[in-house]
Amino acid sequence: MRPLDWAVLAASLAGVAAYGVWRSRGSRTTAQYLLAGKTMPWYAMALSIMATQASAITFISTTGQSYADGMRFVQMYLGLPLAMILISAFAVPRFHSSGVFTAYEYLEKRFDARTRALASVIFLLSRGLAVGVALSAPAVVLTVLLGWPTHWTTLAMGVIAVAYTVSGGIAAVTWTEFVQMIVMTAGIIAALLTVLWLLPAGVGFTDALAVAGAAGKLNAVVWRFDLNDQYNVWSGVIGGMFLALAYFGCDQSQVQRYLTGRSIAQSRLGLLFNGVAKIPMQFFILLTGALVFVFYVYSQPPLVFQPQAMRALESQPGYPQLRAEYDRAFAQRRQAALHMDLDGFRSAQREVDVVRGRALSLAGQATGQGRVNDTNYVFLWFVVHHIPAGVVGLIMAAIFAAAMSTISAEINSLATVSMVDIYRRFVRRQAPDRHYLAASRWLTVFWGAYAVVTALYAQNLGSLVEAVNRLGSLFYGTLLGVFVLAFFLPRVRGGAAFLSMLLGEAAVFAVWHFTGLAFLWLNAIGCLVVVCSGFAISVLRPAPRPAS
Amino acid sequence: MNPPDERPPFWGSWGRIYTGLLLYLVSLIALFACFTRSWNR
Repeated sequence: MRPLDWAVLAASLAGVAAYGVWRSRGSRTTAQYLLAGKTMPWYAMALSIMATQASAITFISTTGQSYADGMRFVQMYLGLPLAMILISAFAVPRFHSSGVFTAYEYLEKRFDARTRALASVIFLLSRGLAVGVALSAPAVVLTVLLGWPTHWTTLAMGVIAVAYTVSGGIAAVTWTEFVQMIVMTAGIIAALLTVLWLLPAGVGFTDALAVAGAAGKLNAVVWRFDLNDQYNVWSGVIGGMFLALAYFGCDQSQVQRYLTGRSIAQSRLGLLFNGVAKIPMQFFILLTGALVFVFYVYSQPPLVFQPQAMRALESQPGYPQLRAEYDRAFAQRRQAALHMDLDGFRSAQREVDVVRGRALSLAGQATGQGRVNDTNYVFLWFVVHHIPAGVVGLIMAAIFAAAMSTISAEINSLATVSMVDIYRRFVRRQAPDRHYLAASRWLTVFWGAYAVVTALYAQNLGSLVEAVNRLGSLFYGTLLGVFVLAFFLPRVRGGAAFLSMLLGEAAVFAVWHFTGLAFLWLNAIGCLVVVCSGFAISVLRPAPRPAS
Repeated sequence: MNPPDERPPFWGSWGRIYTGLLLYLVSLIALFACFTRSWNR
C-alpha cells in the first residue's frame, strides 16, 4: 500500500462512519434506535440489504472462486428474485402491520412465547457463532498478504463499526451501509476496468472471453441436475430460493432492514430492487475473477497464492522439479493463448492444473493442512501486486466496507433480539422507554465486544471457522418452516409449531450428518419437515376450542 | 389479520411488478445460457 492508497482508505473509513452518525442523530426512543422510527426510504433499505448480504470474505473469495472454478457460482442467486416476490407479497405486510420490532415477536402474536423464545435462541446461537468469523476472516487474509498485524486489522474494523452502531442504532447502520454499498460498487467497477486495462496489448475483451471460455471459466449456466452439486440452475433456483426466503424472511439482520421502511410499499420496493440488482452484481464480480485468470495466462502467477504455503512448498525436496514443470506448462499455455490456438491452450491448461494440484497437495503436506486451498488469496494477490496506486486503496476500502456493513448489521440485530425478545419479554417487562433504549445501547456494546473478542480468538481456530460458518446455515430451514406455518396454516397452534421446529432441526442434522447432500437443499428439507409435521400434529391433536 | 395493501408508485399493481421481475429472471437465465453457449467451449 502506497501513501495515496492509505489516504483513500482512511478517507473512506472516516467519511462513511461520520456520515452514518450524522444521518442518525437524534435517536431518542427505542423505536427510533431499533426501527429508525419507520422513516426509511426504499433506496436506503435496498442498498443496506445488499450491503449486509455482501461480507468481505464473499467479496474476496467470490473472485477467487471464479478464478478456480468458473462463474457457475452465480446460479446460487437465481432463486433470489422469486424469494423477494414471495417475501414482498406475504411477509412484509404482515410484519409491518403487526407493529413488531423483530420477526420472532410476530411468532408470539401468532403462536406462543416458547415458539418465539426458541426461534430467538436459534437466531442468537447461529448469528452469534458467525459474527466473529465475519470479522476475523478478512483480517486473516489481509494480514497474510499485506503483513498488517491481525489484531490491529480486526480492531480497526470492529471498533469503527461498533462505535457508529452504538451511537446511531439502525439508522446509522442503514445509512453507512448505503454509502458502503456505493464504495463496494465503485471497487468492483475499478477492479473490472483495471484488469481489462492490464491485459497485454493486442488482447481485447473478446479475446479475453475466448481464453476464459476455453478454460471453462465462463460456465454461468449448468443445466445438469445433480443433488450433490451446489451450483446448477436447479439447485440455484429451488435451493437458492429457499435459502433466500429463510435469510430475508426470518433472519433478523435482514427483516429489521425492511421493518424500518416508511410504508409497506417502500419496504417492498427495497426488497425487489435487491432481486433486480443482486444477480448482475454477482455476475460482474465473477467476471472480474475470470478476467484475473486471463491476466495470469499472460503474466506468470505464483505456483501457490497463499504466501505461507508457498514458503513451505519451497522447502520441499520435490519443489525444483515441480517449479520447472510449472514454468514449462505456463510458457506453452501463454504461447497458445497469444496465438489464439484454443486447442493447444486447453491442453496446456490441463497440464498447468495438474502441476498446480500437485503443488497444493505438497504444500498441504508441508504445512500439515491436507490439500491447501488458496482461493481466498487470488484476488488480493492480484490487487496488491498489479493494481496501480489509488485503485488499491479504493478496493481495500470496498473490502473494509463489506466487512463493516456485515458486522454492524449483525451486532445491531443481535442486540435487538436480545433486548426485545429476551430482556423485555422475559427479564424486565415493565420499564420506561429510556431504560430499554439504554439496554439496547449496552447490548450493542456487548455484542460488539463479543464480535471483536471472538474474532481475535477465531484466528487460531483454522478449519473450525469454516465449520462454524456452515453450522449457521443448518438452522435456516427450520426458521423458514415455522414462518410458513404462521402465515399460511391458521389451524396450526403453538404446541404444534414448537414441536415441529424441534423435529425439523433434528431432520436437518440427521441429513447433514448421514448424507452428502449439497448444503443448499438443507434449507428446503428443514422447511418441508417443519411444515408437514406442524400440519400433521395439528390434524392429529387439534387445539381445544376457546370457551365462548 | 388482513394487512392493508398499498398501490406501488408505478405499473399500477404489485402483480404487474412481480410478473415483470419473473420475466426479468427468465431473461437473465436465457442471457446467461447464451453467454455460456457462446464463450464457454
